[in-house]
Amino acid sequence: MNCQRVQDNFIDHQDGTLPPAESAALRAHLASCPDCQREWSALQEMTRKLDALPATEEPSPRLREQFYAMLETHQRDADTVSPFALAKSRIDRFFAALLPSTPSLQFAGALAVLALGVFTGARYLQQPVPPAVTSPADAQRLANLERELADQKSEVKDMGGLVAASLLQHKSTSERLQTVLATMDQKSPDRHVLTDLLGALAFDPSVNVRLSTIEALAAHADQAVVRQGLLATLPRESAPLVQVAMIELLTSVREAAAAPLFERLSRDETADKDVRESARRGLALLRSPSPTDPLKSKQPSNPVLS
Amino acid sequence: MFLAPVTQFRVSSAEAPASLPATVDADSDHELMLAVRAGEIRRLGDLFERYHKPLYGFFVRLTNQPSASEDLVQIVFYRILKYRHTYRDEGKFSAWIYHLARKVSADHFRKSARTPTPTDPADFNEQPDQEPAPDAQAGTADDLELMRRALARVTHDHREVLVLARLQHLNHQEIARLLDCSVGAVKVRAHRALKELREVYFKIRKEQAA
Ligand SMILES: [Zn+2]
Repeated sequence: MNCQRVQDNFIDHQDGTLPPAESAALRAHLASCPDCQREWSALQEMTRKLDALPATEEPSPRLREQFYAMLETHQRDADTVSPFALAKSRIDRFFAALLPSTPSLQFAGALAVLALGVFTGARYLQQPVPPAVTSPADAQRLANLERELADQKSEVKDMGGLVAASLLQHKSTSERLQTVLATMDQKSPDRHVLTDLLGALAFDPSVNVRLSTIEALAAHADQAVVRQGLLATLPRESAPLVQVAMIELLTSVREAAAAPLFERLSRDETADKDVRESARRGLALLRSPSPTDPLKSKQPSNPVLS
Repeated sequence: MFLAPVTQFRVSSAEAPASLPATVDADSDHELMLAVRAGEIRRLGDLFERYHKPLYGFFVRLTNQPSASEDLVQIVFYRILKYRHTYRDEGKFSAWIYHLARKVSADHFRKSARTPTPTDPADFNEQPDQEPAPDAQAGTADDLELMRRALARVTHDHREVLVLARLQHLNHQEIARLLDCSVGAVKVRAHRALKELREVYFKIRKEQAA
């Protein structure tokens, strides 16, 4: 037996899986070959040291808590008659209405995945699908948003996004709130953190969570995706507090494309009077020659949280 | 290396039983998973109790990032739920969960490759001193620390095979199926891995002495 053959058999010999005859030949070779002897001892020594490594420390209690929270969410989803499928078809129709000329299924699919976590069914399913309200310019912006979000689709789908994953796992409003607030510490969050936040803004049933989401997004309103997301979400928002916060944010960053929406809202007899008033003021500001107002443009005020 | 998509992955239950430390009975793992697949989601809790610590150890050794490893364990169980319908009647749960774990760690490494944080020293030093090694003659605490650092430094593929074989106690057949290669290839890789480990180990020791 040559040295190479012998050393090739080391692993099997170590495991005791070498046939007895070969094992005997190997031992005989070892006894007479210092090189192989040295190799063998080294291998044995490394294996012994490796095996002696103590188990890693225990995971923190957080792991177990999060796991069981996730389990409950899934069990409840499995127990109900596929609210997800229902929600998805509603959402598909919603976006189909908003984007008459673009295939909306991909976008809706991506958002539907987000919705899985934050969507309880109650808020959205009780509302009629809003009418199609888009001007050509809005449709263009929405199409852009669709593309941007579609780029994120695979990651969102995989629940790679921390916010989405966490919204999925945490059932209570306060926990979802904390998750949203945690993103505010991030100086420059991932793009998909932003899209997750927009998803929460569109689908979270809690007014408080949606308001906090706007607050979190305010710091990143310089990014086009955030402003486009706000423009897409505002028409279907029904809570006056949230509507006002969105209008204020869009106004503070002087988002010109918001003007048609503001105009419509300011004339909408069914809208809350605070909302109409905000929209009127916002419209006036957008139409005035834009003075640079450093106080307002950076950190827009939130009527409730600040 | 080719990795079979989840839906195509299957392992015959007629194969040798898993030699996982915490696994009591491979059959009942399988029964539990079939129940989960059928909609009794909460029964995944039992599988979590059996597997989350070995999995956590797998990720810690592979990534050297204890805190990230908790997230990775969570993602594995999330994927089990997400892909539960693809679990096979003839499936073997321990093989499946390690298959998912490898994919999760591959995703993790792909992501962190963009923002490289190879070894998190803070994470590492947090490790409290464990009870004395079972094999007292294997070495002092310094020795173990040296080995821990050496393992962290060997190349990913070698570290993976070492962790699976020596720390997770999978046999070569099981590893071969996981890595989608022949048993012979696993042995070759295991041997090379031990050699690299040894080189790194002595290199670190030399650096320390200097
Ligand atoms: Zn020899």
